[in-house]
Amino acid sequence: MSDAASRPGDTSVLPPGGGPPRPARADAWSRSGPRRRARRAFRPRRTIPGVLVAAVLAAAAILGAIQAVSAALGHPLWTVPHRDFAGPLQTTPWSGTGTISVAAAVAFIGLVLILIAVIPGRPRAIVLASGDDSVVVGVTRRSLRRSLAWLAEDVAGVHSAKAKAGRRSVTVRATTRLVDTAGLRENVQTTVQDRLTALDPLWPLRVKVRLRRREG
Amino acid sequence: MTRHTAHVSRTGLVIIGLILLLGGGAVLARSLRAAPSVLGSSHAPLVTHQQAGYPAQNGWVWWAVAAACAIIALLALWWLAAQTGTRTVRRLPLEPDRIQGATVLRADAATGAIADELESYPSIRSADAALQGSPRAPGLRLSVTAENRPDPAGARAFIETEALPHLRTALERDTIPTVLRLQFSRAFDRHLA
Repeated sequence: MSDAASRPGDTSVLPPGGGPPRPARADAWSRSGPRRRARRAFRPRRTIPGVLVAAVLAAAAILGAIQAVSAALGHPLWTVPHRDFAGPLQTTPWSGTGTISVAAAVAFIGLVLILIAVIPGRPRAIVLASGDDSVVVGVTRRSLRRSLAWLAEDVAGVHSAKAKAGRRSVTVRATTRLVDTAGLRENVQTTVQDRLTALDPLWPLRVKVRLRRREG
Repeated sequence: MTRHTAHVSRTGLVIIGLILLLGGGAVLARSLRAAPSVLGSSHAPLVTHQQAGYPAQNGWVWWAVAAACAIIALLALWWLAAQTGTRTVRRLPLEPDRIQGATVLRADAATGAIADELESYPSIRSADAALQGSPRAPGLRLSVTAENRPDPAGARAFIETEALPHLRTALERDTIPTVLRLQFSRAFDRHLA
């Protein structure tokens, strides 16, 4: 990783809106292997919806099995009238509004589940370039947000700061109590951009700074 | 690695989603008279009198329902277990040569060693390591919390050029697919910097 440590000092002050500097190792992004692996590693796993659906399905099937066995033995656990187990189903036509709305709801839930499964989802981490192909490095989005906000708050003149990490950019919202804010925005931008360059994300993130003045 | 559980979750969701979508869609199609010749009249009740009386005359129906429910329940429980399992490797075969005698390494010895090594680095607050997947070709999941220092490259260089190669040597492997999750905590010397 000797070529890896791109020095933060390499970056000069960016013209606002100018293109972000490309760290040397971001070349890895142009190769599909590391890119695909990195994307996969931090893609949402959809465990929560999966576990929920599995639990509901298991519970329903267990209850159904218990009811069916008890009915087979002649003593249904939940006393559905034995002769017409189907109860109101025998008087509801296929074209009834109840049927249609229930069927539509079921189909809709099915569609939602398919979409949850198929949509890749927003990666939980920002992937950093790594010197080694077998290593995938990522900073969790929340952690990056917090650390960049702390960093911005350390800039002289900044009262408070919040950061948001998007797909291609990081937005820092800073407040200041200074009357003369000349150069402050650029300072924050440079500080944050330097840190990002040192982290060396696999695909470059551009920094936007919004500065607001606060009275008091 | 845990990509496996992602696969299991997503595949299961697609299957259940398809069943619900197709089932709901078929009922809707009959309700809205999409194809009466195939699906039947939309004015008929959901369950005819004849169908309602069927289980009372045929005792096996309830048993069949019970068996189907049991199979579904087992599949659902298996799916549940496959999603929640972390697939952590506990024992690693080092010397696969059965004739000479097999050498097995406890995985937590290896992961504990790399976690300790990482935590010995000044700006790394805490580290957590786990080997996952198959014992023959395990993957490493590293979770490292580093201090929010101006130059995070040092900690990363240490991980990639020192700690990981040591683990590879210890496990006698050329590569170990690694996922490193980096987090930052507030630095102690934040106001001194």
